[in-house]
Amino acid sequence: MQTNRSILLVDDDCDIIAQLKALLELDGFKVYSTDNSKEALEIFNREKPDAVATDLMMEEMDSGFTLTYQIKKTEHGRKIPVVLMTAAAHATGYRFETYTAEEKEWLKCDAILNKPISVEDLEKKINEFYQTEKV
Amino acid sequence: MQTQDEPRILIIDDEETLRAAVKRILENEGFIVQAAANGTEGISFALKSDFDLALIDLKMPDINGIEVLREIRRKKPYTICYIATAYASYDTAIEATKLGADGYILKPFSPEELVSQLRKGLERRKLLLETERLRKEREESLLEVAFERTRLKTIINSIRDGVIVVNREGESVYCNQAALKLLNISFLPIGIPIIEHFPSEIVSLVETNFLGKESQTNSFTIELNTNPDPDKFIEATISPVPQSDNKLAGIVIVLRNITEFKKLEMAKSQFVSMVAHELKAPIAATIGFLDILTKPEIKVDDAQRMDFLKRSHFRLDSLLLMINDLLDISRMEMNKEAKEIKEISFEDILADILLLLKIDIDKKKIQVTFKNSAKKTVIRADQNEIHRLLLNLLSNAVKYNKENGTISIGLSDDVTFIILRVEDTGIGMKPDEHKRLFAEFFRAKNDKTKNIHGTGLGLSIVKRIVDSYNGKIECVSKYGEGSTFTLYFPKINNYKG
Repeated sequence: MQTNRSILLVDDDCDIIAQLKALLELDGFKVYSTDNSKEALEIFNREKPDAVATDLMMEEMDSGFTLTYQIKKTEHGRKIPVVLMTAAAHATGYRFETYTAEEKEWLKCDAILNKPISVEDLEKKINEFYQTEKV
Repeated sequence: MQTQDEPRILIIDDEETLRAAVKRILENEGFIVQAAANGTEGISFALKSDFDLALIDLKMPDINGIEVLREIRRKKPYTICYIATAYASYDTAIEATKLGADGYILKPFSPEELVSQLRKGLERRKLLLETERLRKEREESLLEVAFERTRLKTIINSIRDGVIVVNREGESVYCNQAALKLLNISFLPIGIPIIEHFPSEIVSLVETNFLGKESQTNSFTIELNTNPDPDKFIEATISPVPQSDNKLAGIVIVLRNITEFKKLEMAKSQFVSMVAHELKAPIAATIGFLDILTKPEIKVDDAQRMDFLKRSHFRLDSLLLMINDLLDISRMEMNKEAKEIKEISFEDILADILLLLKIDIDKKKIQVTFKNSAKKTVIRADQNEIHRLLLNLLSNAVKYNKENGTISIGLSDDVTFIILRVEDTGIGMKPDEHKRLFAEFFRAKNDKTKNIHGTGLGLSIVKRIVDSYNGKIECVSKYGEGSTFTLYFPKINNYKG
């Protein structure tokens, strides 16, 4: 499924970024990427991507949450899908879900994908977001 | 030589001839006889040794016979005392017996009369002593029982586990201090139904399995709900107390604080999940690359293919390193006794390691200085462990150092320790990173460390080795300027080899 959207990838594992980037680019995404949440916010503000996918545990255990919180505070952030990618459910036994509007509001993100994530799932979440927005 | 069986008689009389005559008569009977010429002497003889019988003259010039009798009675209650009197009258006889005389002998008396009277007195003495012995024995065994009870009570009260005894009717019978503390109550009245004071889990278990039952042979163990203290874990084991015919006599409840055990269990599962998470990351990355490379519909060029393969290779290499570190840790935990202890030189191992790290040191153009002021650097330890310890410490100083940096190594000693100081001009640590320095899998994550690879287990292994020799390791660090590790390694340890 070809697109001309842009996406910001944030993950401290540069290999995961390399893989997602290669796959997303094949589908037409313009990909920005970084391995830390500080730079991520700078890129976000500068490039205003159409989507953000970020890892949860980076410099800190909750770096991903802090980042999505800051992104969702901005006007642009509320207009785009923000996806958290995490292996936390497996590591800690805590499951985060984003089935309801409240959960999404609580977690400040539109979807959570458990690692290892598939690019198809990521793209599906992004498309769903834009389809609901139109409705 | 006197023996216990020969009766010992004391004669107190101021009339010398009578004294001598009585002495002779009694000695002929096989008695041991001592004679005192007056009351004072009589008292002093009587108190000095233990006579079976004293024959006291009533009328003496210094002290009256009644006084002598009183004095002897007071100190020697089991010496039979006879009063001898020439002024026989009903009154004196009455008075003498009132005051505790065992009898009286009228003067003058025939030898047969005297001996027969005294023999009666000696029989009486025997009975008295026997009674006293029995009384003492009884007293002693009572004391022993009391002592035993106190001792048992003290023992039960000293047990750190809580002990509660409940009767068949479900009423509390006994409870030690630890039980009160664990149940968080200050006082447990005896004889009340346990339902009033005990956690409901215990009560319902007791009610279902014990109360009203003829017999019960099983024990039950449950974990108590310790609200409102969620960090406290208490385990209760409820066991039957059987009578001799195996019928249920009561219940004993043992409460144990298993908080420490739970903490260990928790730490263990946390460690396992951390390990799993750390092992998963490189595998996930590698699978990701292989997915891309093996799916024909995903087009990648040659350069990208080579890059992905190299990255996969690198991730698997570091996975292998991590697994080796983990195996080392588990070996250390399991085979604490399996150290190969021999005399080794700290200094030599240090030199070996510097040689091993030379390529990396030269690559970063790091200046290494080494000062040795130690008098003795030979220790008894496992060579592999010390090698591992120093390698991890020094390779960190190289790995986290900057180009053209320095590493200053100082080796010294005092009475107890060999002291190794490794100072680098590396990236240093922030205070919160410093705190987690020796924790498994902790690696400071920031833009300065992102290109430095490691398993996150190096310093945790260092700490384990140091701890196993009862040494200590300290670190002073300033973010952006460098870190100094100081290792105190005991010169003497208990390891045999």
